[in-house]
Amino acid sequence: MKKKLFFTLSLFSLFAFTGFAQKTVSGTVTDASGEVMIGVNILEVGTSNGTITDLDGNFSIEVSADATLEFSMVGYTPQQIQVGNQTVIDLVLEEGVALSEVVVTSLGISKEKKALGYAVTEIGGEDFTEARELNVANSLAGKVAGVNVSNIASGPGGSSRVIIRGNSSISGNNQPLYVVDGIPIDNTNLGSAGMWGGQDWGDGVSSINPDDIETMTVLKGSSAAALYGSRASNGVIMITTKKGGKRKGVGVEVQSNYTFENIIETFDFQKEYGQGDNGLRPTTQPEAFASNLYSWGEKLDGRSTVQFDGQSRPYSDVGDNLGRFYQTGSTWTNSLSLSGGDDNYNFRFGVTNLQNDGIIPNSGLDRNTFTTNTSGKFGKLTASFAGTYIRENVQNRPRLSDSPGNANYTAWSMPANVDVNSLLGPNGDGTNEEGTELLFNDNIYVTNPWFAAYNFVGSNTKHRAMGNTTLRFQFTDWLYIQGRAGIDSYTERRTSIEPYGTAYKPLGGMSELERRFTETNIDLIIGADKTLDNGIGISAFVGGNQMERSFETLGGSGNNFNIPFLHTLNNLANRGTSYGISEKAINSVFGSVELSYNSILYLTATARNDWFSTLPVESNSILYPSFTASFILSDAVTMPSFVSFAKLRGGWAQVGGDTDPYQLNLTYGLVGQGHFGAPLGRISQGTIPNFSLQPSQTSEIELGADFRLFQNKLGVDITYYDKTTSNDILFASISQTSGFGSQVVNIGELRNTGIELLLNITPIKRTDFSWDMTFNFANNQNEVVSLLTPEQDEESIRVSESRTRSAYIHHEEGQPYSVIKGFKYARDAAGNIQYDENGYPVRGEFGVLGNGVHPTTLGLTNRFRYKNFQLSVLVDGKFGGDIYAATNAFAYLRGLHKNTLVGRTDGNVGGSKTLPLDEVDNYYSQIYNITEEFVEDASFIKLRQFTFGYNFPKSMLESTPFSEVSLSLVGRNLLLLMSRVDNIDPESTYSNGNDQGLEMFGVPQTRSFGFNLNVKF
Amino acid sequence: MKSFLNKFYLLGLIVTLSMVSCDEGFEELNLNPTQANDLDPKFQFSYVQLQTSGERYENWRAALIYSSTMIQHLSALATYWSGDKYLFNSGYSSSLFDRAYSNYIKDIQDLVNTLETSGENPEMLAMARIWRVVAFHRVTDIYGDIPYSEAGKGYIDGITSPKYDAQEDIYKDMVAELEAAVGQLSGGGRSFGSADFVYGGNTDQWRKFANSMLLRLGMRMSEADPAAAEAAVRKAISGGVMTSNADIAMIQHSTGPEGINQNGIGQVFLADDNQRMSKTFIDWMANHNDPRVDVLGYMAVGGPQVGLPNGYDAQTISNFGSDDLNTYSRVNPKLVTVDAPMIFQTYAEVELLLAEAALRGWHSGDAATHYNNGVKAAIQQWEVYDASLAVSDADANAYLAANPFNAAEGMRMIGEQYWAATFLNEYEAYANWRRTGYPALTPTDYPGNQSNSQIPKRLRYPDSEYGINGDNIQAAISRQGPDEFTTSVWWDK
Repeated sequence: MKKKLFFTLSLFSLFAFTGFAQKTVSGTVTDASGEVMIGVNILEVGTSNGTITDLDGNFSIEVSADATLEFSMVGYTPQQIQVGNQTVIDLVLEEGVALSEVVVTSLGISKEKKALGYAVTEIGGEDFTEARELNVANSLAGKVAGVNVSNIASGPGGSSRVIIRGNSSISGNNQPLYVVDGIPIDNTNLGSAGMWGGQDWGDGVSSINPDDIETMTVLKGSSAAALYGSRASNGVIMITTKKGGKRKGVGVEVQSNYTFENIIETFDFQKEYGQGDNGLRPTTQPEAFASNLYSWGEKLDGRSTVQFDGQSRPYSDVGDNLGRFYQTGSTWTNSLSLSGGDDNYNFRFGVTNLQNDGIIPNSGLDRNTFTTNTSGKFGKLTASFAGTYIRENVQNRPRLSDSPGNANYTAWSMPANVDVNSLLGPNGDGTNEEGTELLFNDNIYVTNPWFAAYNFVGSNTKHRAMGNTTLRFQFTDWLYIQGRAGIDSYTERRTSIEPYGTAYKPLGGMSELERRFTETNIDLIIGADKTLDNGIGISAFVGGNQMERSFETLGGSGNNFNIPFLHTLNNLANRGTSYGISEKAINSVFGSVELSYNSILYLTATARNDWFSTLPVESNSILYPSFTASFILSDAVTMPSFVSFAKLRGGWAQVGGDTDPYQLNLTYGLVGQGHFGAPLGRISQGTIPNFSLQPSQTSEIELGADFRLFQNKLGVDITYYDKTTSNDILFASISQTSGFGSQVVNIGELRNTGIELLLNITPIKRTDFSWDMTFNFANNQNEVVSLLTPEQDEESIRVSESRTRSAYIHHEEGQPYSVIKGFKYARDAAGNIQYDENGYPVRGEFGVLGNGVHPTTLGLTNRFRYKNFQLSVLVDGKFGGDIYAATNAFAYLRGLHKNTLVGRTDGNVGGSKTLPLDEVDNYYSQIYNITEEFVEDASFIKLRQFTFGYNFPKSMLESTPFSEVSLSLVGRNLLLLMSRVDNIDPESTYSNGNDQGLEMFGVPQTRSFGFNLNVKF
Repeated sequence: MKSFLNKFYLLGLIVTLSMVSCDEGFEELNLNPTQANDLDPKFQFSYVQLQTSGERYENWRAALIYSSTMIQHLSALATYWSGDKYLFNSGYSSSLFDRAYSNYIKDIQDLVNTLETSGENPEMLAMARIWRVVAFHRVTDIYGDIPYSEAGKGYIDGITSPKYDAQEDIYKDMVAELEAAVGQLSGGGRSFGSADFVYGGNTDQWRKFANSMLLRLGMRMSEADPAAAEAAVRKAISGGVMTSNADIAMIQHSTGPEGINQNGIGQVFLADDNQRMSKTFIDWMANHNDPRVDVLGYMAVGGPQVGLPNGYDAQTISNFGSDDLNTYSRVNPKLVTVDAPMIFQTYAEVELLLAEAALRGWHSGDAATHYNNGVKAAIQQWEVYDASLAVSDADANAYLAANPFNAAEGMRMIGEQYWAATFLNEYEAYANWRRTGYPALTPTDYPGNQSNSQIPKRLRYPDSEYGINGDNIQAAISRQGPDEFTTSVWWDK
């Protein structure tokens, strides 16, 4: 009822008023040399009404009678023109002394960048479409100061992890809120790998089509986001989609992008010793079968030696097994868009098809996106609609971490003398003649990699619809009301099959799952913008928002297929169904007032009150404010001549937060389908519920300065922030002997402080040649200040565990977020490793061994333009973080690591005594349990992106139907310039959750090359 | 300016009014529509019983990979079968601990608390308390000092870091619990009926089971606290223990529809074919012409049963003999199906304990009679798995005639028979072997073993407890000794 009232009111308000004086102004914008200028921003000051100039430098805009227009373009001095009686304004823009950029901020409101009291970074759509990532969020890596993007080793359709200004919640979501055209979209991770394996089922942003992105704006701080409420406390990434503009006829744009990718071979395993055990090669087929995962044999000598299948082959290095197993992946993206418009209407329609073949055989992704944007102006009413439909089909999401069904695990573990192709079997897919798994070793849980790739199924299809309708009514030139309803809804259908004939599950099993997600947002804003005669401007609005989301799961699963190889639910001997639902809602009211004085000083105050359904009724409401200020120093006082622009800014903001649904009461549920007719019931939670939870709270102070020097040849933007989350609602790990794994409590406190630096340097700028450098650097110091109630004697909570069961991710008081803990070597006072009576190293105390999150990130982009050629190179790096490389632990256990060569000939392993040769493997297997050995510095520098493009000159295109054509060669993740980790890529974590720092047999990182063709008609 | 502000406030008011009562319906929205606030005690008891029988996880690791191979019931070459090689694998070692608290101790504590609070169903409460002892005693037998009095009470009492109780205190309390529960069994109220998978709610059989458990726990203290042991044993016998194989405490499993319905040991054998009958066990039966040798063992290739020696791997086995696993005896597949029963205590064990009590002078009965009853029951009990495994009275009596009880060797004979009778109840077999030292097993000497080449005295605690329950586990270690395979539990003197 309430919702209805709310919406009716907004509609009523929008239609109830009509007719105020409007006029159309048009003209042409040129630069000082008389060249027409394309893409100049034209904004009616104090409103979000704006347009840009077309290819011929022309514009046309409908404005109110006493409007002031601001013309701006990066690198040029903006100009404000009082429209007065003019209907034609032809303008010459001077090359910039001071910049005035217009950016889209919270709730889709355009603002002059100089008015903002907080740091905002805007990235153009071409940064996502030239050199592409399957998950567009990964394209942000290295491009924005303070944005830490983790490249998850999980294959096509995998999730991203984007963290802005550090992790600020122990158990909650730490990723930013993604907003498309003003409406929040879902970015829930649909499942990721853990210690027992599993797949990355993707997240919400991964299905966003880069071809439809006009700009991506990163609002980093809490004050930037105060108006989006609790979910914006981690920052906001606002995506503005492309829209049609005024033009003659219909504009057609075609873009084609083809890339191929190969694994980056970081592996450097030993190739001197072959398969075997206790220092001996196998001499019988059963021995070969038992030791096929172990490289503890003899020195490779080419002698004919029996293998797992009873055949004898030369005992010598077979070469590149990874090259045999992983194939060349490819991605082929084609997009077409139509757009057009006149003074009152505009539209854009886009369709994109993406086809990807992954590097693991039989894996890949297809995605089709259809999008429509349209807007019409009916007097004072503007109505717009934006809608996107995405169909995404991911075939065989690779299994990661633990061995069952994980092709990577096995492919990486082959001894030097065993050819992975010998595991193909007679059918070429890892099966034997009967079609069941071709076994090649005595551990049935280590799956034949070909069988895993060709016979396991882990696929899903997502149908997603996102859209919003907006109605805006301009009462007078300064007063408007805007109502908006948006939805993000998707259905995911997932099929997982462990086929009939799987060694560890001979009769097989499968599950079919359908998940439905819906989030709706309805908001209403009434706003006013007015500049008074005395130079004081007021811009204010109040509004309300209702958010509702539900997540519903329906599934069937079971084991044991009756008819062999018929993989369908109905063929399961044992099967069951499951159903789950999770619902929550947040209601909010908010308001904002911005005061400005002569475009020199801007003061903004906001307030928001949220009511959360997930918290107890007595404490479900929180009011939080923000205050920001921006002072244009260069306009206020006379600066030295080399200072083109100077601005100081500062702000303080708070944001409240909630938790997941159903955390307040103990409940019971039934398990399975009963036993001999008797129902089975139990406590359904693994977390102790808490009926007295309160909202969490994040407070942030931000100070910054923006200087442009030497005619804008040098820009320096520096920010300091100090962000504290208190009353954080966390799932604190507790002793399992309490019966529960965790308890939900309001006790967390985290602090993030950091600096962000952005340098824009233009060393050379000539007509034919220019060189621009952008350098960003950020350092975030994170500290977990408080985790536990005083009566608890521990100081850390466990988030995750490695399959080796000797490394853990903890959040620990006094340490940064997500530290790696495990067992050290036992050492004496002098630091010498202790050995037991066998001569094996002794496992010592349990403690912190590393930091799973890099505190420092940086990126350097160099752009060169020579006539119509462009070259852009991005190098990025992260520093100070560590990774627990379980792959290397296994390489010790298996005798693959080069370090295990020590002592193989003489038993002198470097320990306390010389070992018998048949005990060398036991020595290294013992080290497998010592975590310290495998926690490695994960700092790296990568050549992340390279594009080399050519814009065909207009003169060449005159006789063609094309208006613009550009072609570029592109590459991503080309080189690992610096790494200190053995064998694996330093970016190899398999989880995109809050447990950063664990690696184990993920999908190898790849480098991609290709081309991008863009044609406009 | 004034009119501007007036209009602004008016519109603001409209918005605010439309948002009044901003959390209407939120309380209902936050109740999980798929879960209940209360539960019939029957449903929870059924769940707890089935979970105590165990999942594949801990049956594979703690029961089979460690317990069964350490006491040489089974044997394997694969190195991940770390038990008879005395190698340490932390996840395997802690598997029973890892599953017990979260899978069934949590719910049995909740069930006992619910029944105690309501006070309406004493009979149900008694059975729940007895079952709680069944659940806890296996965990303390494997690890020694464990969280007991504060365990599983994260919600009930808000205890998130339970202390570790001394095993001596745990035993004394379990004995007291059994005695109290026996008295409560006749208290009336609702019956579990068919929700009780062990005895179908039969209070007479529960009384016998409780007393048989009291006999087991009492005898377990024979070396550590003989006085307490004798008192408990006497009390158990006078209360009335199991009297036939019909009293065996076991849970029937079924093929499905889901994993929880299946026998965890059967699930292991479905997935893993590395394990064989131990040479020690096969030889012991074969040397005594034991009819059980073909009941428990199975040769795929035919011919006499051949046990696989303990302590070898795929390479070193060639130093002993055939490296082809098919030439060694498997466990009879009929014993390890997914719908096999899971046995907690047998009549045979009870008779053997009575024989021991008689030998010790704690019981007036005749040791030889109890021994004969126990061995005969042990030979014939396998028919509860499959009717085809029945052994005739004649064959059983012939075995007894050929291997008559000799009081001078009584403790050894009883211990060996107990070891054979508890095949597939590996937690119990491992515990009684540690107490009695029978049969006299020869330890293996695998390179790199973690127990000084001795059969481990206990399994090690989970690594996780060091991180999140550190002070309490350290207190246990300072009382009990280092967290190693070589440290004995309290009753193992």
